Amino acid sequence: MTAPVIEVEDVWIRLRGHTVLEDVNFAVHQDDFYAIIGPNGGGKTTLLKVILGLLQPSRGAVRILGATGAAARRDLGYVPQFRTFDFEYPITVREMVLSGRLGHITRIPRRYDAEDRARTEKALETMHIIDLADRQIRDLSGGEQQRAIIARALVSDPKVLLLDEPTVYVDAPTAAQFYSVLDRLRERMAIVLVTHDIGVIPEHVTRVACLNRRLYTHDTNEITPDMLEAAYHCPVDLIAHGVPHRVFSEHTKEE
Amino acid sequence: MFEVLGFEFFRNALIAGVLASVACGIIGTYVVVRRMVSVSGGISHAAFGGIGLGYFLGIDPLLGATGFTVATALGMGTLQLRARQQMDTIIGAVWAAGMAIGILFVYLTPGFAPDLFSYLFGNILLVPQGDILLMGVLVAIIVAVVAFLYREFQAVTFDPDYARVMNLPVERLWLLLLVLVALTVVMLIRVVGIILVIALLTLPAAISRLYTTRIWSMMLLAVALGIAFTLTGIGLSYLLDVPSGATIILVSTFAYAGALGAERLRQGD
Repeated sequence: MTAPVIEVEDVWIRLRGHTVLEDVNFAVHQDDFYAIIGPNGGGKTTLLKVILGLLQPSRGAVRILGATGAAARRDLGYVPQFRTFDFEYPITVREMVLSGRLGHITRIPRRYDAEDRARTEKALETMHIIDLADRQIRDLSGGEQQRAIIARALVSDPKVLLLDEPTVYVDAPTAAQFYSVLDRLRERMAIVLVTHDIGVIPEHVTRVACLNRRLYTHDTNEITPDMLEAAYHCPVDLIAHGVPHRVFSEHTKEE
Repeated sequence: MFEVLGFEFFRNALIAGVLASVACGIIGTYVVVRRMVSVSGGISHAAFGGIGLGYFLGIDPLLGATGFTVATALGMGTLQLRARQQMDTIIGAVWAAGMAIGILFVYLTPGFAPDLFSYLFGNILLVPQGDILLMGVLVAIIVAVVAFLYREFQAVTFDPDYARVMNLPVERLWLLLLVLVALTVVMLIRVVGIILVIALLTLPAAISRLYTTRIWSMMLLAVALGIAFTLTGIGLSYLLDVPSGATIILVSTFAYAGALGAERLRQGD
């Protein structure tokens, strides 16, 4: 087995006196498609922020390809939560995707070179938005905006793609299209996806974990009722993928 | 009215108007897209503390305002980054405290504070030659810094978290942007006065936003609009013999209202 792309070891996060993450351990390998599910407020975004280096863990460490520190983050591609975006910002799709190269430019002043532009065109093609390149992001549909955000993550040639609630604001056909895009990307990079929506876990995930302050892992791609119950603190019905189903039974109020 | 162009004070006013508009269009664009309007309001009102300090120390009040405003911007930016306080409360406190400090200093300064009123409400027709020079230097600094860091500022104002993931020096860039806001505010004090600064900083950029698709084009149009508004305002205030700062602001506000109305009609079709 090769060295993990992401290694999270004994990570604790305390924010304003609350323990948000407790003793979180897991590793993402090169060919993983890792889904982390959990209720809202369970620490999913916080965990991503720790991996991205936006938050320092109170205890524990995160290693990216065996390294810690800022330089290691260059191998991460990040697709933030949709609603954190300001789509009113005056920027074209191409400019936005190109800006994803800034982290790889070391010369000052930072200027884009031919390689940056070539990678941008390639990412636009990969995400099938090359025709929209000169449009403003606010004039795109939700699905197109999402592909633009992923394209921005792709230009930095990441070893792993981290996605935060990627399908919350898109309709079902767009979500299906989105997962087919992820399937293509899987050949090139590991993927970590966090979501509160168990119904959207795609069939091709290799591992699933449940997060609610603690991370409940399982070495397969199955969500077991135990894991869910531990994470959600309530009984949950689990039915196979692709079948219309009800996820929660008699959902009691959390906390 | 063209014979008035022969007067030095009037030429100075036009030059000051153009210089202020350049700074406004460029920095106002960031203020509008990053929604920093209230931060800028806080910084501009705190500038009154610097005016008072200038009187008290017997130096050029505008010089006092420059130092004081830059320090306020840095302090406010640091608080915003570090303390997890509600930002609007901090802005309100800084806003009022700056004005209060100014009032105390003016009170403590022996004798009469000349043209205090013009710092509050602006009087572009009284801009001295020395201030034109100071404004020119500030504009040159602002243009140079933005030209140099255009891509970084774009990344930081569009998506600060992603900029941090990319290892850009987000905090330093953010503080630098606030310092540029502070310098712009100081320039505008002569033109429209502390109380009206925020309108000239934001209105040209807000109108420009409706018609442009990129940061640089938004800046260019905002500069052009700013020049049009200030020159129209100066001309009208001369012809009607009314205060220049207030006239410039009202011209800008009418233009903004008109642009919003036109946009509404266009989208309605």
